[in-house]
Amino acid sequence: MLTDPSFWLVQGLNSLQLAMLLFLLSVGLTVIFGLMNFVNLAHGSLYALGALIGYSIAEALGSVWWAYALAPVAVAAVGAVLYITLIERLRSAGPLPQVLVTFGLIFVLMDAQRYLWGTDALGVTGNVPFSGTIHIGVEPYPAYRLFIIAVGFAVFGGLYLLLNRTRLGAEVRAGVDDAETAAALGVNVERTFFLVFLLGCALAGLAGAVAMPAFSAEAGMGVGILVPTLVVVVIGGLGSLSGAFVGSLVIGATLTFGTALFPDFAGVAMYAALIAVLLFRPHGLLPARG
Amino acid sequence: MTFRHLLAAALLAVLLVWHSQSEYYGFELLAEVAVFAILAMSLDLLAGYGGMVSLGHAALFGLGAYLYSWLGGPMVGLTAPMAMLGATLGTGAVALAVGAVAVRVEGIFFIMITLGFGQMGYEFFFQNKALGGDDGLYGIRRLDLSSVGIDLSDPGSFALAVILCAVVVYLLLAWVLATPFGTVLKGLHANPNRLRALGLRVHAYRAAAFAFAGAVAGFAGSISAQHTQFIAPHLLNWTTSGEVLIMLILGGLGTLVGPAVGAVVLVLLRHELSSVTDYWGAVMGGFLILVVLSRQNGLVGLTERLLHRRRG
Repeated sequence: MLTDPSFWLVQGLNSLQLAMLLFLLSVGLTVIFGLMNFVNLAHGSLYALGALIGYSIAEALGSVWWAYALAPVAVAAVGAVLYITLIERLRSAGPLPQVLVTFGLIFVLMDAQRYLWGTDALGVTGNVPFSGTIHIGVEPYPAYRLFIIAVGFAVFGGLYLLLNRTRLGAEVRAGVDDAETAAALGVNVERTFFLVFLLGCALAGLAGAVAMPAFSAEAGMGVGILVPTLVVVVIGGLGSLSGAFVGSLVIGATLTFGTALFPDFAGVAMYAALIAVLLFRPHGLLPARG
Repeated sequence: MTFRHLLAAALLAVLLVWHSQSEYYGFELLAEVAVFAILAMSLDLLAGYGGMVSLGHAALFGLGAYLYSWLGGPMVGLTAPMAMLGATLGTGAVALAVGAVAVRVEGIFFIMITLGFGQMGYEFFFQNKALGGDDGLYGIRRLDLSSVGIDLSDPGSFALAVILCAVVVYLLLAWVLATPFGTVLKGLHANPNRLRALGLRVHAYRAAAFAFAGAVAGFAGSISAQHTQFIAPHLLNWTTSGEVLIMLILGGLGTLVGPAVGAVVLVLLRHELSSVTDYWGAVMGGFLILVVLSRQNGLVGLTERLLHRRRG
């Protein structure tokens, strides 16, 4: 198996595809984390919400493209409600209240999803783009997974430009670096945080909508992916875009190759990586603060 | 503190009256309440008094349950009391090793590193087929006290014994908190830099507290394994740690009796609500959010503030 090049190619693509989903989830979380020291344990639930809303949109409008376009907007709207009702009040409350409130939110959102969509895994029945397979060497490979990889790279490129070429990006970088000084220099940090939070929610929704045709949508599907996402955020470095990207690649490869080669130790290896980074590079592999 | 001891005595009285009025279902609930009261009080020592919020505490609880089953099962074959002792000390030793590493980081990073260690344990037992994998293990023995005329296979006697254990743990923790070690622990929460300036080895005290709380969690795990006579990896999962943190918040952080009150409230709510509605998780989650947003220190904090206002 190990000498077969197609094994490495297929598993390499699988790990890249998982990495891109993790990236879409972790990038929003990391900037929220880095900018305002806010831990949102309910971020995974927003991913599930994106998948479920995406499913309903795709079924109603007959095209998954509508789901990609509208599910992020819908999830961002839910995020706006959460921000105004809960998150703004917890901004300066310290980690414990934040952990507990967003932990409570996980249960509320999960039951809301069960109530609205039931407990079955929902697979979209309409037209899905890229539903065929592509031959890579001799192996057939699902084209949709390549599409997920492309979406991840496109979002990374877009966010890179947003962060480095726009005024909002400059404000975000200033806020991550030193929120107090940024505020003193006239940056409306509150507004920046709100926009970044909405963007993070939208990306979680996009991740769900993009994942849904390949992995189906299910109430509570966000709980399992939350912990790897948190690991990516810490490994990459809080608030760091390229850190989230590199961290996603590392964890995607650890989980994919670990499951293929050492099935008993894949999960353990991921947490070992987390602990090693916390101890030896507590600010992550690519820290946002210089 | 005296007021809180009175509250604890009142809580014990309530549990005993409840016990006297119970049949099978009530006994099972009471035993579960008492197990979680022990676990929650041990986390309170760490998080409430020591300021170390751990999302890996349930992993130590689960480790204690697995250690008890392994030591007392056919593979090692110790007697039940020795297996309980081994589970408690073994969990404490693991907690010391983990704590020695974890206490080097603080705040949200401490939450993350304890989450990492805990999930590592969860994955280990989840994947380990020899220990039942994700199906868990059945048929775990209970302590045999028939030589002194107590039949622990009777649910009523078992519940009473667990309540007694919870009382002993309460007294032990209250005593530890009253010793100089307890004073240092509270000081570590309030101002670690000042203690460092006084020449205290902050990391060593933190690690010792982590190990002690872990040993108590392991003890709770060894009781839980005997109660349900079934163990599974979900005992170690971070969501179980989250539930124990909810107990702390519901009852009152850093009050010792509060987490026990929180255990009663949460276990009862979970059973009562789940028989009424499928959506009890949403009710509990919403309740938790309201409690945190109220900025009261749980039920104990609220009671104290109301009494204080009446007096003042």
